[in-house]
Amino acid sequence: MTSFFEATFAMLIFPGGLFALAAGLMLKGVDRKAVARLQRRVGPPLYQPALDVLKLTVKETLIPHTANELAFKLAPVLGLSGVLLTAAVMPIGGVWNGVTGMKDLLVLLYLLPLPAMALMIAGSASSSPYGALGFSREMVVMFAYEMPLIASFLAVAVRVGGTGGSMFALDSIINYQMAHGPMIFDPIMLPAFIAMLLFIPGTMGAGLFDIPEAEPEVIEGPLLEYSGPLLAMFQLMSAVKLVVVVELVVALFMPNGLGGNVLVNLVWHLFKCLALMLVAVTVFRASTGRLRLEQGFTFFVKYTSPLALASLGLAYMLR
Amino acid sequence: MLNKFINKIAPRSPWLYRLNAGSCNGCDVELATVALIPRYDVERLGCKYCGSPRHADIVLISGPLTSRVRDKVLRVYDEIPHPKVTLACGACPVSGGVYRDSYTVNSPIDQYIPIDVVVPGCPPRPHAIIEGVALALEIWRKRLEEGTCSRS
Repeated sequence: MTSFFEATFAMLIFPGGLFALAAGLMLKGVDRKAVARLQRRVGPPLYQPALDVLKLTVKETLIPHTANELAFKLAPVLGLSGVLLTAAVMPIGGVWNGVTGMKDLLVLLYLLPLPAMALMIAGSASSSPYGALGFSREMVVMFAYEMPLIASFLAVAVRVGGTGGSMFALDSIINYQMAHGPMIFDPIMLPAFIAMLLFIPGTMGAGLFDIPEAEPEVIEGPLLEYSGPLLAMFQLMSAVKLVVVVELVVALFMPNGLGGNVLVNLVWHLFKCLALMLVAVTVFRASTGRLRLEQGFTFFVKYTSPLALASLGLAYMLR
Repeated sequence: MLNKFINKIAPRSPWLYRLNAGSCNGCDVELATVALIPRYDVERLGCKYCGSPRHADIVLISGPLTSRVRDKVLRVYDEIPHPKVTLACGACPVSGGVYRDSYTVNSPIDQYIPIDVVVPGCPPRPHAIIEGVALALEIWRKRLEEGTCSRS
């Protein structure tokens, strides 16, 4: 029974649900403001993404008559619930150890592609040629960034598994880093960390990798036909996804808190998320242009995957 | 209660959509450089350019509505969800501008599309466009409160 309440709490309030939504909208707001400041503009207020979402709820919902209505309506629900579930499973070092029975890296590996899957369903269900293009681009980019993601996961797991404990358990990964120092200071894991830094903009579609939702090219691709509350759900999905991927890198590479106080650790965690997002999304987005699809694919295959694989190989050999 | 709250804050998040009805590109260049450049930053008002008509709140129409694009422009206009506000940018949508006696133009544009705000000029100054967007926001706020749309 307690685990049921624990799971419900994690799903609805913290670290999923309300907390993830609030943190996501805040991070998105900081992102927009920071990009504006980098371009020497004033920029919108920090709560602008929340305003956008609220505004979209009063707009009309239009569904193209050629679209598959069920899939069209279910795709944003799938995406938003998927990322909220992922956020609920995510452990926060020194604050939250994850839901009992779901502390597993492999669960995360299966949950992480859900938003991309939702966008693919949305793109193909909208029956728009631009949606179909966005669908195919989303899929190709996903194939490209899954490889370094899996390799980095395995590298962390092998590094932890080498010193006892279950390989894929998230709490043993966190405990290992509490005992031995964060992975980011481990020279073997540094290439994997860089690969994950490139995975964040890849999966968020920022800067070089703004390929599936490229506005001037495919007119926001899968989101083209969405309007009103359904689009608001996709906006929320994107916000929570940002929190999830940033928290993932924090959990895998630098989950260490600042002592025993839960509140201090939570603020420290949010600070780490913010710093990571500013580096991997904001500055990256403001300073790079879009790659072509095959260039983006080759980038991940040629440069990012070998980095993660190098870490994996080294960790395996030095077990 | 909640609806009132949302109606109150919704005008702080206007998404702009540029609809080119056969414009010479002069107004489009003004529009493109007005919004998101350092000097005249309308993102301060919460504005954002969106690529899809289905995301739009404020439609910025430029050009004299040439015969060739008329049906397409009307179709795209219908794809914009309510409540929406239309802003005519430049002299062309009002009078035809330099093309006014041509047999290929269908201006004034409000024979086909209800225009809420007119920003004259060839092309208009950026300040005028920003003021036009601010006026459009007021109209949008009223429309949200009354629950009306530009077609009704």
